Amino acid sequence: ATLCFQAFLQMCNLPIRVICRANAEYMSPSGKLPFIHVGNQVVSELGPIVQFVKAKGHSLSDGLDEVQKAEMKAYMELVNNMLLTAELYLQWCDDVTVEEITHPRYGSPYPWPLNRILSYQKQWEVRRKMKAIGWAGKTLEQVLEDVDQCCHALSQRLGTQPYFFNKQPTELDALVFGHLFTILTTQLITDELSEKVKNYSNLTAFCRRIEQQYFEGHERDSAAIAARSSKRSPLR
Amino acid sequence: MAAPMELSCWGGDWGLPSLHPESLTVMAYAKFSGAPLTVNTINKSWRTPKGDLPVLVSEDIVISQPARILNFLRKQKYNADYDLSAKQGADTLAYIALLEEKLLPALLHTFWIEAENYCSVTKPWFASRIAFPLSLYLPGKMSREALNRILLTKGGPPLYSLTEVEAQIYRDAKECLNLLSKRLGTSQFFFGDTPTTLDAFVFGFLAPIYKVCFPRVHLQEHLKQLPNLCRFCDDILTCYFRLTVSGHSPAGQDTADANLQKLTQLVNKESNLIEKMDDNLRKSPQHTPRKLTTLKLAAGGEESSPMSRLSP
Repeated sequence: ATLCFQAFLQMCNLPIRVICRANAEYMSPSGKLPFIHVGNQVVSELGPIVQFVKAKGHSLSDGLDEVQKAEMKAYMELVNNMLLTAELYLQWCDDVTVEEITHPRYGSPYPWPLNRILSYQKQWEVRRKMKAIGWAGKTLEQVLEDVDQCCHALSQRLGTQPYFFNKQPTELDALVFGHLFTILTTQLITDELSEKVKNYSNLTAFCRRIEQQYFEGHERDSAAIAARSSKRSPLR
Repeated sequence: MAAPMELSCWGGDWGLPSLHPESLTVMAYAKFSGAPLTVNTINKSWRTPKGDLPVLVSEDIVISQPARILNFLRKQKYNADYDLSAKQGADTLAYIALLEEKLLPALLHTFWIEAENYCSVTKPWFASRIAFPLSLYLPGKMSREALNRILLTKGGPPLYSLTEVEAQIYRDAKECLNLLSKRLGTSQFFFGDTPTTLDAFVFGFLAPIYKVCFPRVHLQEHLKQLPNLCRFCDDILTCYFRLTVSGHSPAGQDTADANLQKLTQLVNKESNLIEKMDDNLRKSPQHTPRKLTTLKLAAGGEESSPMSRLSP
């Protein structure tokens, strides 16, 4: 999720600094990560951050008409609904993954027994939520099938365009990039989830493109500009 | 063609075939795709509803959630999305997710959590359709499940009290209704002239809000301000459900009506095509005189040739 925000803010050309803190969840005003700290204001969660940035005058979706904005919101909900829930399921409801990866990682900043208590508490919370929305009865195969359907839909919508709404990146691109990149690069017990995403070549190409453009871009850009200017002067 | 399929679901009232959004979605999809379902509404018998409704039973297979029921129907070749492009299929998934995230919590709240609505309408209605003594327990359980779902999915901080959560979910629901209205625009269904899965889901969620008479109705009032969505619901009810005032559908007329419906749709499509052709002809002025003269020449040629054949 942090990656979505970084991508979004990079797309708006706003400089950011990423800080990792163990008590980040408590520092955030809504208890949810990540959050941004601007001057004397603290804003958390994607929706409010987007509105905050919009109020300051930067917005990525101004060029869209009403129907496209409706579509964008619908696709963002699809990503939240399917991908985020699937990620949570895999992290907290799949017993193998929970034991070997999630518990150690979640509890790592804390001493024993606090790490075990906190991670069990979080697991219980997530399982309750899954039960309420009806995902508790799903097997891993069904969850992977849902992820596949979601990726298929995203892949169809993206087609051969560089971004979801043609030439300009929008909040949807940032959100999709964040989730897909996390899925592709996080080490889990099985690689089935990332395999599902890798089946769709235009989605992997999309991730790579955004990564190159917005994350490795600015270091390369300054070097490239310097190289280009030095090349041009002998030609003139 | 296929084994007989039975659908068990909650019954209807106020002009609707069912009050339950998921049951309504499945019934609408079955009508759109022409699947022959026998619908059993739950009444005061001892066949108590186990688990979640709607439930589809076909031979030995029992399927319970609407998405899985629709998948099953599609595999049995009752597919309402046949004409959709891949991108429209993707849009369908996205809009269904939007409905579930933004509209469903408010719908659940209006039915099960809003105290006046629950006590005066929902609880008596459902209790009257369940056998005693389960009727004392089951509506309460459904209400608690709805509250649980809303609080767990929407009620995290910074929304600490139920009233703040309520305000947020109604705001989201109104925004969702506005988005749906913009997407529908002036067309009859969401993807052109034939109804699809998305139309079934939207109808399933909107119709209970639109038709059921609750004491506290701010969502219904908002919906009534969006005339294209109201027209959408009414169209589906009159065309596909043919309910008379008493709420019972006239059996036996259904197939004839369905055929008539399909014929009128075909005729409409053809007349639209003919109109478009006419428009094209009229818009290109340099072509029309040539065409008329060629027609006249052809007519004259045809007339002259038989005469020339006859003459000698």
